[in-house]
Amino acid sequence: MNKTPNAQLPTPNAERSEHSTLGVGRSALDVRRFLWRILDFVVAGIFIFAGLTKILDLDHLIADLQHLSVANAFADLGQLSLASPAEFASDIDNFKILPWPVSVALAFYLPWLEIFCALGLVFRFLYRGALAILSASIVVFTLATIAAKIRGLDITCGCFGHASQNWSFPAHLITNLAILAALLALLFKATSRNSLQNAV
Amino acid sequence: MKSSLVGQAVILAALALLPAAGEAIYFRDKISWRSAIAPSEMVTVEQAREWGDTAIWVDARPEDEFATDHVPGAISLNEDRWNELLPQFLAVWAPGKKIVVYCSSLSCNASREVAHRLRKTTEPPMENVFVLEGGWEAWLKKR
Repeated sequence: MNKTPNAQLPTPNAERSEHSTLGVGRSALDVRRFLWRILDFVVAGIFIFAGLTKILDLDHLIADLQHLSVANAFADLGQLSLASPAEFASDIDNFKILPWPVSVALAFYLPWLEIFCALGLVFRFLYRGALAILSASIVVFTLATIAAKIRGLDITCGCFGHASQNWSFPAHLITNLAILAALLALLFKATSRNSLQNAV
Repeated sequence: MKSSLVGQAVILAALALLPAAGEAIYFRDKISWRSAIAPSEMVTVEQAREWGDTAIWVDARPEDEFATDHVPGAISLNEDRWNELLPQFLAVWAPGKKIVVYCSSLSCNASREVAHRLRKTTEPPMENVFVLEGGWEAWLKKR
């Protein structure tokens, strides 16, 4: 009986190579997914922080964290109170674009919208809608900031509550553009993946 | 969720309305929907004049405008030079005294900001801080 051992023998090198190619491809894909998820969490964290600074009075907590007073920061956590929406309404009103009642309505509404959209990013719930709203809000806020600067208004930024009241105009702009770039990258990825799924 | 992008955005926008409405109800007595300054924090020129020496007048306008003219006895205190100007204000301030802050006109924000800082950031936080209704323009009309 002629044996053709070579023909029947498995080709370990080829399989290994195929497996390893798949493995490398998969792990690279996993790393990429992991990095995109990190970007989701970073952007969500920014907007949750932005929303919370307008809803809760975090001034003492932030000041203690800035001074690395961890013990005091924990004490502050126990004494958290609601922030006055009048302060954020004033920040919006300072742009001199909207009438006061609309500023008040936005002062109540925008922080919750930011938080809900951020949670949408974290839990991938209504994900593309959340990205679209956050991108639109950043665009509007950036345009309003630029318009205010052009009109010579020396305004307090309300983007991160009073934590950002001393930010300069370039700092506003750079932060906003960086967040917008991240949001657009996530939105582009989400919509392109969605269209691919629909095509399949 | 497989709804369209716009549909998702509408759902999120609607969801955020619920806690916002709850917060608006909770703060219904603490914020005015008509004016940026709560009525209890504003004072008219007539009322402020009646207070006489028990009131300290604070001019929140830029210093060049203060130098041109100001309410007699007023102290300049603006956000641009807060740390430099605050000591001269503290020198005349005493607990229980009323503080009347004014800026150029009805639409300016400086008096509101200075009043806010006096209430919130000074140690101890000051009470009886009022914003002059109509600002410097109102004072000029009724001088």
